[in-house]
Amino acid sequence: VSTATAPTTRQQSSGTPRWLLEREVALCPCGCIGKRSKANFIDKTITGASSVMRQALFTDEIAAQRGLMQRLDPRVKAITMLALVVTTALIRNIPVLIGIYVLALVLAAASAISVPYFIKRVWLFIPIFTGIVVLPATFSFITPGHVVLPLGNWFGHRVGLTSQGLRSAGLIVIRVAASISLVVLVALTTTWTTLLAALRSMFLPRMFILVLGMAYRYVFNLLGSVTDMYEARKARTVQVDNAVKSGRAFVSATAGTIFGKAHAMSEEVYQAMVSRGYTGHPRTLSAFRVKAFDIAWVVGCAIVIGVTLGVDHVSGR
Amino acid sequence: MHIPDGYLSPSTCGTLGAVMVPFWVTAGRRVRKVVKSRYVPYVALGASFSFIVMMFNIPVPDGTTAHGVAGTLTAILLGPWAAVISVSVALVIQALFFGDGGVLAIGANCFNMALVLPFVGYGVYRLLSRNISLTNPRRAVAAGVGAYVGLNVAAMCAAVEFGLQPDLFKASDGTPLYAPFHFAQTIPAMALAHLTVAGLVEFALTFGVLAFLQRANIPVLKINHPNVPLDGEMPDRRPLGWRWAFVGLGVLAVLTPLGLLAPGGAFGEDAPENLDLGKYNLNAVPTGLARWSSFWDHSLLGGYGFKSGEHPNIGYIASAVVGMAVIAIGVYLLFIVIRFASRLRTERSSPAAPVSP
Repeated sequence: VSTATAPTTRQQSSGTPRWLLEREVALCPCGCIGKRSKANFIDKTITGASSVMRQALFTDEIAAQRGLMQRLDPRVKAITMLALVVTTALIRNIPVLIGIYVLALVLAAASAISVPYFIKRVWLFIPIFTGIVVLPATFSFITPGHVVLPLGNWFGHRVGLTSQGLRSAGLIVIRVAASISLVVLVALTTTWTTLLAALRSMFLPRMFILVLGMAYRYVFNLLGSVTDMYEARKARTVQVDNAVKSGRAFVSATAGTIFGKAHAMSEEVYQAMVSRGYTGHPRTLSAFRVKAFDIAWVVGCAIVIGVTLGVDHVSGR
Repeated sequence: MHIPDGYLSPSTCGTLGAVMVPFWVTAGRRVRKVVKSRYVPYVALGASFSFIVMMFNIPVPDGTTAHGVAGTLTAILLGPWAAVISVSVALVIQALFFGDGGVLAIGANCFNMALVLPFVGYGVYRLLSRNISLTNPRRAVAAGVGAYVGLNVAAMCAAVEFGLQPDLFKASDGTPLYAPFHFAQTIPAMALAHLTVAGLVEFALTFGVLAFLQRANIPVLKINHPNVPLDGEMPDRRPLGWRWAFVGLGVLAVLTPLGLLAPGGAFGEDAPENLDLGKYNLNAVPTGLARWSSFWDHSLLGGYGFKSGEHPNIGYIASAVVGMAVIAIGVYLLFIVIRFASRLRTERSSPAAPVSP
């Protein structure tokens, strides 16, 4: 009883004005009563920033676990996954694409990734968005062909959903999902530094890798500054903040400040690099070794690519 | 505008990636020439900045929010070549680590957002901000307009890439293998979305940042504008170079092959035998039309193709090249005649005038 009454007594005794303690009416998120309240730009940006950081931390956690994909040499992993993504792009049959997607699910399960999380991460939100976008393309107006579901006549022509349109929509949705699955699989099971080292072995210039690595590192640094600024603004805001004009001015000022910070930081980083002996020519260490397991993996991937392309070719069209 | 994998065919992605390579190499060289050994931190922090700005939600009336691309902003602050690299790196990070935009489609996304967008936006900005001091409010407006135009041209590029897919890549029964929409749908859809909401968001963001920096952080603006005076008029009011006209004409010339994909013909330009006589209650082709339509049939490239009718695509492009060459020669000859005539007139009107020093 005492725990339940304690907050109320504290509220009454404190000097906080009552209007600040009252909850706003009509804030039901589904919009059933009163005005619909949409998340405002400050909340969205703070959530976005924290989700980027959470994703990066989560990746490190998964990449540190023991699993199939984690055991692979990062170079081998990057190159074989690129080959699989190209294969996915070349395939023209829905069943073969579903096969690749199932393979990605199996690999995720074998790499200590929770399958429901993996499915959610992939399908939200691009494949679902794609499905909505290609919906009109199933109509005979856009993709002419054999009408399988007639929806009436239009100036003497039969109109409706065409088999070509439906197949095209299915192809694009499942292909998008399979490609994203493969990329997410690599992204989740590889730490950022090892992935950079892997990219270097793929004939990319060292300068580019160095820029990529530094940019990634300072994204998180600047993200911290952005979060600080937005949280400070949120802390100073009392009522629902929907002023569009002042909101835009705030976003612009934040972006301008971030650019100033980024530029000052680039100067400091450069001086730190020079004081540690940087002369404009980066040096890197490379300590990867291809093991028998990697060779077996490459052979496995080659067989998968060969079989899928073969089946796709035989099923034709 | 981040194109995921699966929307574009591998050949489209490969072509656009190959187009990007020389631009990346040139951009790397040009930026390194200016900033020397501080190249890596300079470009890397620029990339972090563009990544962060792409995350900003900007309030739009009606309570919703949208986010910008800020390619033009990066180009204005760091220069267009540095923007090519910075925005490309930001797109690579988004594709590899956050699954935003495809991995195979990196070439296409970089082409739209890291090449076309910054260069078009920066070009428009430079054009509109000529002879304006660094703190003039018109400069911020010029930046916003540049961002608006740049974003819309980039969206148009994406629409053309999408619209090409169903015509170029389909199965034997006509099933589109990649993005299924044609130009007639992709161009209006992209144009509508970007001319209204996304373009205005980009305008507001770029204008706002420039206006803020003009008030609060002039040294940062000076990075890419070292010789622009702070206030007052520019010392040298140069007229606009006529070479700019060639940029526009060149872009139009490069777009010529799109005409191959345009369906149908123009009203009133068909041959008499293609006339739908029944539609106009006629029994025969009118005698005047029949007589005069065949008055001249000695054209070199009739119907924009070779006379034999073979290789229609090559014939179409050859017609375009010949047409452009003929017009260029004609205009040049006219130019010579006008110059000759005006020189004759000045000599005749003032025969004894001394040559101006």
